[in-house]
Amino acid sequence: MSQSKAVVQKYARATRLLHHIHTAAFIILFITGLVLFIPQLGFLAQDSWTRIVHRLAAVVFIVAPIVYLVMKPKAALRAVADACTWGTEDVGWLKAAPRYYFLCDEEGMPAQGHMNTGQKLWWFLVIVFGAVFIVTGLVMWFLKTVAPAGLLQWMVFAHDVAFIVTGAMVFVHVYLGVIHPMMTEAWQAISKGTVSEEYAKSHHGLWYHEQVKEENTAPPPEPKEVVEVH
Amino acid sequence: MTNHWNDIANSDCTLVIGGNPAENHPASFGHIMKSLDTGGKLIHVDPRFTRTSAKADIYAPLRSGTDIAFINGMIKYVMDDMDKNPQNYNMTYVTEYTTASFLINTSFKGPVELDGLFSGYAGGVNETDGAKRTYGKSTWTYQLDDAGIPKKDKTLKDPNCVFQLMKKHFARYTPEMASKVCGTPLEKFLEVCRTYAATGKIGKAGNIMYAMGTTQHTVGTQNIRAYAILQLLLANIGIAGGGIQAMRGESNVQGSTDFGLLSHILTSYLKQPQNTDTTLAKYLERTTPTTKEPNSVNWWGNTPKYMVSLLKAWYGAAATKENDFAFHNLPKVHAGKNYTHIALYEAMEAGIIKGLWVWGQNPLVGGPNVNQERKAQDKLEWLVAVDLWETETANFWKRPGVNPADIKTEVFLLPALNSYEKEGSVTNSGRWIQWRYKAGDGPGVAHDDLWMMDKIARKLKELYVKEGGPNADSILKMAWDYGEDHPDVHKVAKEINGYNLTTGKLVDGFPNLKDDGTTSCGAWVYCGSYVEENGKEVNRMARRDPTPDTYNIGLFPKWAYAWPMNRRIVYNRASVDLDGQPWDKEHPVIWWKDGKWTGDVADGGAPPIKVDPKARNLPFIMTAEGHAKLFGPGMAEGPLPEHYEPWESPIKNPFSKQQYNPAVIVWRAAEQGTVDKYPIVGTTYRVTEHWQAGQMTRNLPWLVEMQPEPFCEMSEELAEEKGIRNGDRVIIESARGNVNMVALVTKRLKPFIMDGKIVHEVGMVWHFGYTGLATGDSANLLTPHVGDANTTIPEYKAFLVNVRKA
Amino acid sequence: MAEKAILYDATRCTACRGCQALCKEWNENDEVIPAVQGGVKERNRGSYENPKDLSTRTWLKIGFNEVEHYDKLDWLFSRRACMHCTDAACVKVCPTGALYRDEAYGIVAYNKDICSGCGYCADFCPFDVPRLDGNRILGKNKMDKCVLCTQPGLNRLEIKQEPACVKTCPTKALVFGDRDTLVATARQKVAALKAKGFTNATFYGEKELGGLHVLYVLNDTPDKYGLPVDPKFPSTATAWQDIIQPLGWTVGGLTLLGLAFNFIIAREAKMTKELPGKAGKGGKKHVAE
Repeated sequence: MSQSKAVVQKYARATRLLHHIHTAAFIILFITGLVLFIPQLGFLAQDSWTRIVHRLAAVVFIVAPIVYLVMKPKAALRAVADACTWGTEDVGWLKAAPRYYFLCDEEGMPAQGHMNTGQKLWWFLVIVFGAVFIVTGLVMWFLKTVAPAGLLQWMVFAHDVAFIVTGAMVFVHVYLGVIHPMMTEAWQAISKGTVSEEYAKSHHGLWYHEQVKEENTAPPPEPKEVVEVH
Repeated sequence: MTNHWNDIANSDCTLVIGGNPAENHPASFGHIMKSLDTGGKLIHVDPRFTRTSAKADIYAPLRSGTDIAFINGMIKYVMDDMDKNPQNYNMTYVTEYTTASFLINTSFKGPVELDGLFSGYAGGVNETDGAKRTYGKSTWTYQLDDAGIPKKDKTLKDPNCVFQLMKKHFARYTPEMASKVCGTPLEKFLEVCRTYAATGKIGKAGNIMYAMGTTQHTVGTQNIRAYAILQLLLANIGIAGGGIQAMRGESNVQGSTDFGLLSHILTSYLKQPQNTDTTLAKYLERTTPTTKEPNSVNWWGNTPKYMVSLLKAWYGAAATKENDFAFHNLPKVHAGKNYTHIALYEAMEAGIIKGLWVWGQNPLVGGPNVNQERKAQDKLEWLVAVDLWETETANFWKRPGVNPADIKTEVFLLPALNSYEKEGSVTNSGRWIQWRYKAGDGPGVAHDDLWMMDKIARKLKELYVKEGGPNADSILKMAWDYGEDHPDVHKVAKEINGYNLTTGKLVDGFPNLKDDGTTSCGAWVYCGSYVEENGKEVNRMARRDPTPDTYNIGLFPKWAYAWPMNRRIVYNRASVDLDGQPWDKEHPVIWWKDGKWTGDVADGGAPPIKVDPKARNLPFIMTAEGHAKLFGPGMAEGPLPEHYEPWESPIKNPFSKQQYNPAVIVWRAAEQGTVDKYPIVGTTYRVTEHWQAGQMTRNLPWLVEMQPEPFCEMSEELAEEKGIRNGDRVIIESARGNVNMVALVTKRLKPFIMDGKIVHEVGMVWHFGYTGLATGDSANLLTPHVGDANTTIPEYKAFLVNVRKA
Repeated sequence: MAEKAILYDATRCTACRGCQALCKEWNENDEVIPAVQGGVKERNRGSYENPKDLSTRTWLKIGFNEVEHYDKLDWLFSRRACMHCTDAACVKVCPTGALYRDEAYGIVAYNKDICSGCGYCADFCPFDVPRLDGNRILGKNKMDKCVLCTQPGLNRLEIKQEPACVKTCPTKALVFGDRDTLVATARQKVAALKAKGFTNATFYGEKELGGLHVLYVLNDTPDKYGLPVDPKFPSTATAWQDIIQPLGWTVGGLTLLGLAFNFIIAREAKMTKELPGKAGKGGKKHVAE
């Protein structure tokens, strides 16, 4: 939509790096998990190679956010705080979302912060199911011989539920980020880190105005560390 | 075995005592199981609750070394019951077939009168002078009539008849005393008595199975005597499902015994010549029993035929009537000297024996007081060990704790083939001689025993020709012709069977052997195993025809060959009445029908007693009396079994002042442990997973995996007393040494309550050593150098120890 | 062909463990044990029982249980190996089809080549039988368990031979045959045991898991023998296959459908908006990006 040349920094490099690494890990995990889920693909799992890849990816999946947390603790914590801070704009968003996403009717949509309500919900899902994946995965990985069979069975179950839910959500996430007619710059935001002013205004109005205020008072050579997740 | 494995299925009650067939004879248990399928009962009497006990209807614990007190108690129970309920017993059998009616020398006195001793003892009670620890047997004799025939009282009332002497003798073995001495709960003991005595009824069969738990005692032979007496009173010998079964611990132990591997016998139980046998005639006079009993077959009266035929087999043309059939070429032992295992190792330590062949044996694990025996072997000049693997015996010179440089013995290790890598016969416990074939080649330069023996014999002959030497004729005159390259095993088998030297044909059965040098036979009981039928040589040992016998009691007469004469149940004439009709018509062994015997090969073959009163037709053909000997004057320590405590015992003998067997040889009196230092009874055994001294099984990974370490079983009560938990390492020590083992704390061992006193017993496996895939201490580091008074089999099964946490 | 089974009569078993040893030997599970002193990694743990547990090289293990019952001490022996359930959870959860029900024999057959080593079978087996071996960390595993002597090249059933364990049993505690026949035999045996005073005698395996292909005659309740009293097809295995699998397809499918639907509508709406007009009503909520 926007052809504006003025851009604002939406995601810092570290953030983007984390997003990409985590995405890659997730996709690998997803595909190597899928071969156990679809019997017709079972032959790919023979000789355990998919499991080895799955586990390597799992290491990345677990370690990447930890590294991020350690290297950029402020940004990480602010993102969590952001996601947890719900205001009237979020209620408004929930009300306006159907019309917005289906009818491209932006009228009822209140201005959003750096993280819009949908992004906040995604963020929660990532934290919750990420934790489910990690805990159940680690149990199956390291406690296979010691944990009671009943527990392991529930671990398999929970891992699979998380797999289905997050799998579905990833479709939505990719769709909205890349395909949805109105999300023209989301991909650019996460790939290059910037969005046009216009896009920022229309999609993250609250945040944009905060940014502009700050920039007016101080020169903005280095973009501030701002955080969002995938 | 009097009977054979398959026959156990016919039993109404099997009494296993001093044995553990489920563990140590696992295949045999299938036969026991068959008897249980048809309503039979299984009683297990043992210090430990074992895998056999787990399958038994009745398990009765007894303290190690008290079998005689137990069985004598059963005998008393039976004799008392006979008075009350004679209809429940086969009194004809007892009167007619046993020596119950025989009158004994009036001067004979027993333990009742002599405080535990019998008349004729050279020493006093608890004699310590070894030379006096022996009996003169002049009073252990029958009263004879003018014709020299033993006097009998068939009413069994005469106070000097064997039956009455037994009553007096066994009267002291009350259930209470048995319970007190054995530590068996009284009710359990009585349950055993009741159940087993029920086999005394005509038509019922009881069978006693034993193994080393019976024999490896200072009273081992008397233990078996006690079983025999019980079985005879219950009319259980000679019948289907009856008898006494010595379970052999190895597939061919019966065969090795048949071939004279013991020091007192030649092949087929001919007696070993001794220095006093200066001529063949003197030897035969000493070893051939005679009898005036008119109906007695007295089979051993044939000894001259068998001995001469044996000499002809061994010395061939060099054995002539003129030279006493080369009798002088046979090595002789010194009369009265002991040549058994313990004595040999004592002689080794004394430097008398300088060289040793150990052939498929591992005495440095299996011998008693094995630490002493290991040291004794250090004194050898040379040792030849023949085995499948390097054994503890073979590598004693590099055992832990010795400096190989200090041991000067020259050791040769000859790798041997196992049983499946060679052709030949094996003889099982039931006397079945079964031919088997080579299944595959052995590894490397391993050779079979026959090949080795042949090479050695021929090399010896060659050296004697070249260099001469002592007793040259013994070697040079030996007939030795089994082929040039590999000796022909069939040639050996045929030599064992024997030839008619006049016709050159194989002899069919030992009744055809002669004492004039016209027949040869390498082992008379095997005569008939390889014969000529319709002009063709037939190896009967190789027969595999599972056709049942006439009466379908599982004899399988066309399967392999059984000695003697393919007889499957020995003393089978005792299974019929005086008319030749079977006591048990449902399980007849033999049956006199239409003027001939049908069924099994009848002992002797003469018509029944009532059919031909003049014939030699008494059932017990191997005794001079023709009757089964309830009174056994051949025994070293008395004609009737009397309870003596083991050499090391936790209690004073409650039956008499005579503490332990008065006739045993004590080699190392100083090594006798006392109850104050060693209050716990120790016993030894092996387990299913390990075989014999373990030289084979400890080299097989999957067996080692199942039983990887030596263990000591103990009761929860003892473990608690000593602060030992299951799986702890423990030290068990005796007056000879100590061992380190894993404690196996179990409910299956319970302390014995004897006369209110608690006596603990622990059990240890003995089949470990310092060689092989799995190593550990052998329980034989603890066992004493003392043995049975008759056979000197070591007392492995009862000694004193103490236990502590390692 | 009639379904086959093994009948294990615990009252005949003497725990000689010939079956345990021959199982290894026949199935070539012993060859990896180093035949050197100390090569066998086992020790006595205060029991006759060894090795400690089933493993990929120990498919059959005899257990020893000391119990006091019927007013006396007893030593109960029990055979532990794959039970070859009719309703086999392992088959249900096996993602690759490596475990499958052999229709001819009725047993749980196994194609080791295509095992992925996920270990779901181990997790879901109600008898805790399958074992994994391999690299725990990487997860490069293979499962192993008793396949009733049907390994390729070592297949005894194919040549009309009983399984090795049955072959070696000296007391006929193990019998192999048609399952129907053995069920009838087992019923008789248990009735006979009850008549003999073993009032708790149990025929185990007739109905469990749709019918086991290893049947047990016990002189007491299964727990005395270390067997699960009422083994159940794990609800999680049902859930895994009957809920999770369809759920996965449904959720995935619905999501994609919803997105496609959204795309069509949203694109149209947007175009309408750019060329002003009306669009339909959206029905589904979606979260952002």
